[in-house]
Amino acid sequence: MITAAIIEDEQHSTDRILTLLEPYAEKIKTVCFTTADEAIQGIETLRPDIVFLDVHLHDKTGFDVLSGTAHHNFSLIFITAYEQYAIKAFRFSAIDYLLKPIDANDFKNALQKALDKVQQNQLDERIGVLLSHLSTENSVRKISIPTKDGYSLLNISDIARCEADVNYTHIFTLGGIKYTISKPLKYFEGLLVSHGFFRIHNSHLINLSFVKSYAKSGYVTLLDNTKLDVSIRKREAFVKACKRL
Amino acid sequence: MKGGILFFLLLVCFSANTQELQKRLDSLSVLIGTMPADDTATINLRNDYIKQALFSNPADSTLTEFAQQTLETAEKTGYHKGVLFAYERLALISQYSFSNPYKALDYYHKSLSVAENNPGLNSCKWGITGGIATIYYEQEEYDMALRSFKEIILNNKDLELTATANIANVYGAMEKVDSAIYFYKKALQHPQTEQNPAFKANLYSNLSLMYEKAGNAALAVTTAEKSLALINAHGIEFVRPTAYANASMAYLGAGDYVKAEYYARESLQLGELQGNLFLLKSAWGTLADVFAAKNDYKNALQAHIRYSALKDSLNNQNRRVEINRKQMEFDFEKERAFAQTEIARQNSIKKATLLGGLGLLVVSALGFILYKRRRDALEQKKEAEFNALVSDTELKALRAQINPHFIFNSLNSIGDYILKNDNKSAQDYLIKFAKLMRTVLENSEFKEIPLSEELKFIELYLQVETKRLPGKFSYIINVENELDTENILVPPLLLQPFIENSIWHGFREKESQGNIVIDFKRKDNMLLCSVDDDGQGGSNNTTGAGKKSLGIAITENRIKILNKQKNASGKLQILQKLNNTGTRVEVSLPLQNAF
Repeated sequence: MITAAIIEDEQHSTDRILTLLEPYAEKIKTVCFTTADEAIQGIETLRPDIVFLDVHLHDKTGFDVLSGTAHHNFSLIFITAYEQYAIKAFRFSAIDYLLKPIDANDFKNALQKALDKVQQNQLDERIGVLLSHLSTENSVRKISIPTKDGYSLLNISDIARCEADVNYTHIFTLGGIKYTISKPLKYFEGLLVSHGFFRIHNSHLINLSFVKSYAKSGYVTLLDNTKLDVSIRKREAFVKACKRL
Repeated sequence: MKGGILFFLLLVCFSANTQELQKRLDSLSVLIGTMPADDTATINLRNDYIKQALFSNPADSTLTEFAQQTLETAEKTGYHKGVLFAYERLALISQYSFSNPYKALDYYHKSLSVAENNPGLNSCKWGITGGIATIYYEQEEYDMALRSFKEIILNNKDLELTATANIANVYGAMEKVDSAIYFYKKALQHPQTEQNPAFKANLYSNLSLMYEKAGNAALAVTTAEKSLALINAHGIEFVRPTAYANASMAYLGAGDYVKAEYYARESLQLGELQGNLFLLKSAWGTLADVFAAKNDYKNALQAHIRYSALKDSLNNQNRRVEINRKQMEFDFEKERAFAQTEIARQNSIKKATLLGGLGLLVVSALGFILYKRRRDALEQKKEAEFNALVSDTELKALRAQINPHFIFNSLNSIGDYILKNDNKSAQDYLIKFAKLMRTVLENSEFKEIPLSEELKFIELYLQVETKRLPGKFSYIINVENELDTENILVPPLLLQPFIENSIWHGFREKESQGNIVIDFKRKDNMLLCSVDDDGQGGSNNTTGAGKKSLGIAITENRIKILNKQKNASGKLQILQKLNNTGTRVEVSLPLQNAF
């Protein structure tokens, strides 16, 4: 029997999740908390396998629950309505989330992943990434990227560039390691542009602090001597972005 | 002719012979010692003493100090006459003891200015002018010397004799022998001459030289003998050496070699006693001529050697005077040069200041022009940026207007479901609507989004609407194959108002199922988007009942602003099909690629 904890302060939302879990009643036992403190205690004692966690919990947040608990041996699914900042942090840490009102299909997919326990891998570290992205302190920002065996946590400042490969993206670090992720380049562009990255080309997103030189003919050379084409329409904006650095 | 004889210069108050001089000098110095120093009489005595002492012993170097002290005392007591004569004495000392005519001239001038500033001393002026004239003479400025002496003759009877004698001397020096003889004779006829045998003896001696020069040997000899007779009769020792030398010349000219040799030797002896080089030189010169005339070549040679040596050393002495003059000239030149460089410096400073000022003016003018140009450019840029900001804000506002418009229509649909009591459908619809809303909110953040995003939205929107109006209409979205939807940028939610109009107005009263065809294709450099429905006309009416749909008005404004921003020619066209069989909306946009 699997235990699923629903941490949610609004009853109708809890009801919605319970409705969506009804088909799995034989497999999954549910427990509900409505405040952060209750939830922290409940997680420590019950050790749930799956946690549905709302971002908003009265005067506290779901993040307080995570930082208040020591054991993170569960599959985490955040629930949110429209907190853009939080969504970005979820993406950086590759933590799953559902948007309210919850779409039945989305729920099914998320639950399946949780049952597969894929989401449990390196959850502690990923929560670390999540919290660091939410904090206002200037700490080292990381990104979790899903790999075959789980997750890799990379320092964003170590990423030299991302290259599009249809619906996949190759991430190259300064050390020359290549990661391939099944997400379009646009996904990483959305995350990394605010971290000093620039999309120089339909297929290339580069870290501006790795730029070694730029030739007016439209080629940028990175520190690892990779030469990349800067598309004509991006050249002006690229030079501006470099100057701003 | 070798034996050039020097002129014995006639001084202003010259009378006594050597012995007399020394006697007077001694009594004077005794007198001075017994009298109070600042008394005017003492000062007069001191001045007298200086003059006497100078002619008794020209080499006495203590006289300068003595004269200076006299000057100071006279100045302190305000005794102008004393000051005048003290300056004059200093001039004499400079002239005769130190051979410094310029210094002498300076003192003479000072003395002269004292005379001119005190009317009572005006008569003393001429004595000083005489002193100045002798300096001119020494400096071979003969014309000026003559002018001064002639002026003295005209203005002062007392000095007439000395002046006349000196004019004669000057003409002699100028080799104007006839004029010299004329003035010597005139001086000899002067009444004062009779009372002064020394003066007379000197005049005869000089006259004999002139006769000799004129080639009148006989007259020269007789005149010389007159001079010698006077000297012997009165014991005028200080004229004797010169007179002997001149006499020797006269005898030589007359061919009386014995006498010539005798007087030459005598002159030589006296010259040696006095240490007078001029005398020695002319004596040796005359002797050389005498020996030569006597064919005594050995002695002639030796005399000549002596003569040459003396001449050289005298030339050196002359050179000293010359050097002095040169030094003066040099000092003057230096001062002049300094003044000139100062003037030049001032000029160059002036010039530099002027140039600098001009340069500064040019630079500041240039700077101002550049500054103005830059300022104008900056202002233009600012204005352009501001305009862009304004239009961006306008666009954002317009996009924002779509949201409530769309929201309320959708809320109406949800209301429909609730009315029909279809909770499951209401829930499904709500979730789809939420997704759609999210997309709208996200997309309307951007000025441009990829065409793929816009297509996703249209699809979602049509799904939502189909759900709301099942079986009412079908839709087809055509995208030309070659269009790279990820790369083409379009303004978000551009077609939504027209699709909405087709569904809400075109198909509302239509019995059969309606069809919407949405088309994206490229034509030249434009992206053509069209919404084509077969609903009852007026779905996208702009001409009909007059009231324009809010969506159409907003879209028209957006295109207008986009055209302005991108300098493009985007267009919106709404075509009503014949017989109320549908509406076709065409939007053409400049084709824009992200990369």
